[in-house]
Parts: sequence; structure tokens; C-alpha cells
Amino acid sequence: MAAVTLERLTKRYDRAPRAALDELSLAVADGEFLVLLGPSGCGKTTALRCVAGLEEPTAGTIRIGAREVTRLAPGARDVAMVFQNYALYPHLAVRHNLSFALEMRRVPRPEITRRVADVAARLGLTELLDRRPGELSGGQRQRVALGRAMVRNPAVFLLDEPLSNLDAQLRGELRAELLALHRSLGATMLYVTHDQVEAMTMGERIAVLHEGRLRQVGAPRDVYERPADTFVARFIGSPGMNIFDAARADGGRGVLIGGSLTVETDVTVDGAFQVGVRPEHVALRARGRGAGQGEGQVRIVEPLGAETLVHLDVGTTRLVARMRGLRAPAVGDRVGVRIDAGDLHVFDGRGVRRA
Amino acid sequence: MRPQLAWRLLAAIAGTGAVTLPIAAARLATARAEDSLSERVAYAVAGYVALVTPAAPGRPGYEPRQLLVTARGLRTLPGWSAPVDVYAVRTPLLAAGGPGLPSATWRDLQRLESPVRLGAGTLVPLKDREAWDVVGAAWVGRRSAPRDRRPVWTGLAVALAALGGVWAVGRGRGLRRVTMATFAAAALVHGGMCAAVVRGAAAWSGDRALRDIRTLIGDAPARLPVVRSRVPLAQLARVVQGTGVTLAEADSAQGTMIRRVETARGPRAVAPIRLGRRRWLSATMVPLEARQGGWTLAALGLALVGVVGVAVAGWGAVAAASPRRLGEIVTAWAFLGPAALHLVVFSFGPMLFAAWLSLHEWDLLDPVRRFVGLRNFAAAAADPLAWVSLRNTLLYTLYVPVTMMLALGVALVLQHHGGLTRLARTVFFMPYVASVVAVALVWQWMLSPDFGLVNWVLGAVGVPAVDWLGDPHTALLAVMVISTWVQLGYQTTIFVAGLQNIPQVYHDAARVDGANAWQRFWRVTLPLLRPVTLFVLVTGVIGSFQVFTYIYVLTDGGPLHATDVIVYRIYQTAWEFLQFGHASALALALFVILLGVTWVQFRLLGRRVEYG
Repeated sequence: MAAVTLERLTKRYDRAPRAALDELSLAVADGEFLVLLGPSGCGKTTALRCVAGLEEPTAGTIRIGAREVTRLAPGARDVAMVFQNYALYPHLAVRHNLSFALEMRRVPRPEITRRVADVAARLGLTELLDRRPGELSGGQRQRVALGRAMVRNPAVFLLDEPLSNLDAQLRGELRAELLALHRSLGATMLYVTHDQVEAMTMGERIAVLHEGRLRQVGAPRDVYERPADTFVARFIGSPGMNIFDAARADGGRGVLIGGSLTVETDVTVDGAFQVGVRPEHVALRARGRGAGQGEGQVRIVEPLGAETLVHLDVGTTRLVARMRGLRAPAVGDRVGVRIDAGDLHVFDGRGVRRA
Repeated sequence: MRPQLAWRLLAAIAGTGAVTLPIAAARLATARAEDSLSERVAYAVAGYVALVTPAAPGRPGYEPRQLLVTARGLRTLPGWSAPVDVYAVRTPLLAAGGPGLPSATWRDLQRLESPVRLGAGTLVPLKDREAWDVVGAAWVGRRSAPRDRRPVWTGLAVALAALGGVWAVGRGRGLRRVTMATFAAAALVHGGMCAAVVRGAAAWSGDRALRDIRTLIGDAPARLPVVRSRVPLAQLARVVQGTGVTLAEADSAQGTMIRRVETARGPRAVAPIRLGRRRWLSATMVPLEARQGGWTLAALGLALVGVVGVAVAGWGAVAAASPRRLGEIVTAWAFLGPAALHLVVFSFGPMLFAAWLSLHEWDLLDPVRRFVGLRNFAAAAADPLAWVSLRNTLLYTLYVPVTMMLALGVALVLQHHGGLTRLARTVFFMPYVASVVAVALVWQWMLSPDFGLVNWVLGAVGVPAVDWLGDPHTALLAVMVISTWVQLGYQTTIFVAGLQNIPQVYHDAARVDGANAWQRFWRVTLPLLRPVTLFVLVTGVIGSFQVFTYIYVLTDGGPLHATDVIVYRIYQTAWEFLQFGHASALALALFVILLGVTWVQFRLLGRRVEYG
């Protein structure tokens, strides 16, 4: 068990227009489950591979515990990695996939046997020990990949999108299993994903990366409720936050959205600014009932079962509202739209959070 | 309904073919047997005339009156049945007043000295007594072989069976199977019967020729211009020149029957000839029925062509019901056809022929291939040279794993130096695409004991000159080194491709697992490369077992058989010693050995590898 500290970690590839990683500084606490989240190409896998030692950073330092490992070989870092495609050795039976790393480290034979049996029992792989990876299902391979990491008892687990190759149902099951495993092992885990649902449900903290830069680190709830910028606001949540170019309403108090919707608020920003609101904070009323702040016309309705997404044209802009259940206005209806001032996120002209 | 009719029509045509084609083949073969009889007897007549007619004094040719007497005498020979004539230059002597030889025919006779078909018979050149100039011609008319009616009955049976086949076109699969089986059986019997007719006609033709020759030889001594008590055999042999018959003295009479005897060189037909009270000769020839294998195959094959035709028609009628499938099948065969044909003609055909030949004795010249059972194999097993060549081949094969190690090493180096790869690969690959003979000749010069590059370099560092290819201790090694040099680039290329095919992620996983470069190579790279290794090993070993050109060009199997390998042994046995049966047995043994070696290699290395 150990903390992982990245300081101004930078990775540049030859002939690439921008750095894959740009001065990433991040501290992962001992025993923490930290999720690196971002769209593809954001540098999250590069960061993970740098920690593993598979990529050599251009600049910056990596510490695992008190030890600086920036230039150490992967095998000397006491990290284990689970790859996106699992990378199970196709020519070796499950038993030998599990024992490979221990054999490389010249762990005594009886000790290997004991640890492999132990891990196999924990992951329900005992029956599969003599099969080859080609004879396993996706979920089983995933477990073997995890087992291969566990059997070494490493200081840090590095997981590179380990669930992305599984179907939705299996992914849900394994998410829960992985969390249970983390609790029981108490190990430090760095988990890379592009799936914000995975990040929200699994991470103790989430680090959001975009174009090689760290945008925000925080607990899932913080990241969701107080996104540091418009990128994070849009990226987290499904659908993401509605963001509008806003103007001050006539009379000074409040902001005008899409030229027709006014939200009264005390928050003011000098110059151009943007406001955002989560879809679930947009309230729709049938026209003429209760006091609306503005009006919109229904463009698309997406019934999802427990909730329904309603896409609206409001003045010159568009927004998405989330309604509970399946009751919703019909396409083309005009409805009243209301947003509480407390649910409004305000960003400055560069997209950085103000309030 | 109409397409069905078309398919039935096709089936009917094929059925008709099954009846008529074998009969036609039998007819053709019979006609050829009849012509061959005329030709043999014509040669015998020419020989007989030359033997018994005195030469014209002072000029080439025969004394005209005596020639006429000889010619007339032919017709009164006891038991003589052939229409016959003798031409003095271009004038017929017996058909007096008949047309002379056309000048074109006469020119052909003089120039080519080969038989010519003329009228209903065969004309052969008549030479003077010294067998020098063509001074006339002997003509023998065609006699008909006894007609054999049996194919008519089998043909009827086939026709009935074919009717059944035509009827079954477009009907159920089971029905078609039964009718086709009946039809095929009838056709085979019919083909066999036609083949029997062919053999009968051939036997008749051969025996008839022997009888006529016996008549001529029996008559000749009494008519010789110079009377002698005991005519030398060599003189009488003039009669059988060009007839395929050999004469020999015989001890005693075995009756007058023409016998079939089995000799060391195959079956022979022997006719005893009585020359006076104490003297017997034997006229021997290869029985013609023993040489009708081709016609037998043709008769059976033609019978089956009809069967195939009806089967295709039946299949076509079914397939026509689903045109798309028909189209697919036709397309598939159009693509497969050329390759399949090539495979059959140049691979399977020769293989089967070699297998057949291995059970026979054949020297390429003798038209008869005598069946000897497994004797060729026994001889091969007992031949110490065969074992020497096997040992040399096995030693030579060792160059394959050695080259593979080198090639894998080079490939691993190239893999990590991308820019170098292309140039290096080209350089290494060049020997592989160069002409084998050119490579061999260049190496022959390099390895030359007196002015070779290798010895020059070695001499520079004080190593005494070695006759690499001339010393039994080094010759095989030298050939192996050359082979390594040639194969290295090819194998490297394959290994580079194989290495590039291994996903990087396995190396990453192994690095994280703490494997060092050496461990990664042994535990990850090599196992994942196994399909490639197997391919290189199997093709390499098969190739090494078939090595020939380097040996042929560089050492001729020498010195002292030090480089005598199996294929070279096969080559020498066949083309230098003309023992094709023996060579085929060796080739078959090589085939079995290769099959075994390859099977073992697959068992050892052939487990499948999947990249996750």
C-alpha cells in the first residue's frame, strides 16, 4: 500500500502538436480509489502508463510512497496493471497467467501455489485454472486479469478501462465486485475510464482530464455539483449540463437566457459570461398554470422509463429538461420553463466557475 | 418442364456415348492391330525377298526374273493368307498391269524408309541385299480380325441402364443414386468387355504375324541363292528385321503352338520354327495384348464419361431449380478449375504414376514395365548407398534449425532498428531470389581450393588451404553453409513479420509483471511466435529433404558419396542407371519419411495460439 504522487508530469510525443500530458500534478492517497476520467485522447491512459513505467515521461516526477520511481523499470515499481484487453498470455493456462509475475520474481514454489489458490478462490476462478484465455468468457478473462494483479499484492493497482469490453449488464455487476474488492484489499487504485457513470459510481475521487491537463479533482458529488469549468460541467452527467451564453436582465437583477428566459439572481459577473443548469433543475409547467419565468417549445421527447428527457427551444437557444416518470408534454407543445436561482452555475468568459 | 427436357436430352446423349464410345475405341484399336499386322508381315516379306533373291549383277537391285519368281512364290506358301505384292522400283509384280506407285509415295519410301498406308494395306521399303538402297517395296493387305459380338450385348445392357438414368433425371435423390450405380456398373462391364475385344484383336494380330513369319523363315532356306547345309541365324534374322520379333536357336520342338511364356524381362510370345529335321528356332516377340494398357484405360474411361455425363445431367436438373446455387457452383469451379487441373496433372498424377512405377521394373526404353511387387523397396532397403544418402540428408537438415536461430536473432535485432530493417531485409533476401545455379556457381568459386575467396581470407590469417567441396569431411558442411546463407534472408523476413504480429500489450504486461528482456523472449515472444516457427521449420525441413540443385551443381554427390542425399540418389538411380522403378520406390520412401517428420513437428509445435 502506498500513496502515488505526480508532480508536473509531462509527456510529449515526437511530432505531436501538443503534449499528451501537460504538467499533471496529482496526489493519490494511500488506499484511495481514484478515477482518471476524460474523453479519448485526454492523456489519462498516458498518465497511467507513465505510472506503470511503460512510458517515460518527458518531465516531472512520479513517487510511489516515499520512493521516486520516475526512471525505474516497470517491474521494479511494485505496481500491477489491468489492461483494457486484459493482455492475458494466450499460450498459458489461467494458473500460469496468475503465477507469471511471481515466477519472474523467484517467489518460492509453495508460496506461489498458495497465493494462486488463494486468489483463484477469492475470484471464483478455481474451476478455470487449467483453461486457456481463449476458452474463457469476457467476464472470466476480466477476473483473471484482476487476479493476475492481486496475486502480487502490489503497492498500487493500475486499471486501464478494465470494464469497457464487457456488455452493459456484466459491467454493472463487475463494478460492484471491483468496489468490494477495493474495500477488502484496501489497496491504492488508479482507475482510468471514459465512462462518467463508472467514474461517479466507483471513484472516491475523480480527476477529470482534458487535452493533457487536469481540469478538476474532487469527490464525485463535488465534481457533479460544483464543476470547475464548462468542460467538466458538460462532460459529467448524462446528459451534461445545459450551458448558455447569458446576458444581464433588464433592470440589473437576474440573467437573461436565450433572450426570453429570466432567472433572478444576485450573482453578477463583469463582461461576457455563461450560465449552466442541470437538466433535472429545469422545471416545466403546462402553459398558463403557475408563474413561469419563460416559455419554450418542445422539440424532442426521449422517454427512458424512470425519467423523460425533453429537448426545448427557448428563445434563441436550446436546453434539455429531465422529468420524472413518463408523463411529458408532446412534441410541438409550448410549455412554461422555470429555473431556480440556486441551481444556476455561473462561469466567466473563459468557462471557469464563478458561482 | 422444358429445362427438365433439356437435361434429359443431355443425359440421353451421355448415355448413348457410354454405349458407343467404348465400342468406337475398340473398333479403332482393332483397326490399328490389323494395320500393325500388315506392317509386320510386310517387313517380313521385304526381308524374305532380300534373303532369297539373288542380286542383279553389276547394278543395284535384284535380278528381275528371280524377283518375279520369289514374288509369285509368296502366294503359294503353305498356310499363307495375306494379300501380298512386291514392287520392283515402282512396278507391281503380282498385280501385273496394275498402277505403279505414285511418285510422291515412292519418294517418301526412299527418303523416310518408313511404312506407308497404300490401298487396303501397308507398304514398306524393299532394300537391296546389302540393305543399302531402297530398290522397291513390299505390300501386304489388311486382314480383318475375327469379329467379337459380345460388346453388342453389354452395350444393350448399358443402353437399358442409361434409360433408367435418363428417367431418373429430375426425380428423387435416392432413385438417382440407385439408377446411377446400376448404370455405372453396366458401363464398367461394357468398358471391360470392349477392352477385352481390344486385347483379343491385339493377340490375334501378334500371333498371325508370328505364324506368317514362321512360314517365311521355314521356307527361306530351300530358296537361298547359295545353298548351304546350315543357314546362319544372323542371315535368317533379315526376315524379322522391323517386325519386333527376335530369332534364337531352340533345343527341341514344343509342338507348333504359339506359347506365352513369362521371362525375366516380362511376358513373351514364342513360336517354334522347324528348319529341317534336327534344327529348331524360336521366334519371340512381346505379346501385343500385353501392350494394350492405354486402350484398356481408354475403353473404361470412355464408358465412365457417359456415366459422368448422366450424373451431371441429373445434378444439373436439380441445381437448375435453384439457379443461384448453380451459378455459385459454376463460379467456384471456374476459380478452382485451373488450380485443380494443375494439381492433378503436375502433382497427383506424377505421384500416382511414381507409386505405380515403384512396383514395376522399367528402364525408360523398354515399353514393357514388368511388375515386381515390393522388390524395388527390398532393393532400396538393402542398398547401402540409400542409407548413406539418408544419413547425409538428415545431417544436412540440421542446417534448418541453425539457420532459424540465426534468422530469429537477426529479426530481433531488426525489430528494434526500424530504419535499418528495409535495407537489411533486401540485402538478406537477395540470395533467396537469386538463381540457385548462379548461387551455387559463385560459391563454387569462393570455395575453390586454389583461387577461392574463402581460402584466400583464411590464408591471410595463417589457416592452410582446405578443399572445401573436394574433401569428404567438409563437403556436406560447405553445402550446409551455402544453404544457410541462402535461407537466412527468407527466414528473417518471415520472423520479422511474425514478431510484428505479436501485440505489444503482451510485452507491456510482461514488463509490469517484472520479466526482464531475456525472460520476455523465452516466456512470451517465443511461445507466441510458435505458429511462425512451425511454418519455417516444416517448410525448411521439407525443403532440406528435397535438396538437389546445390548437390548436383557443386559436388555431384561426391566426394566418396559424402554429399549423396536422397533426391540426388533418386535422380541418379532414375536418369543415370535408368532404374525408374527403383527410383520411384526411393521417392515413395522419401514421401513417407517427410509425412512422418511433418506429423511429428505438428504434434510437437502445432498447438494453436490465439492472440486474446
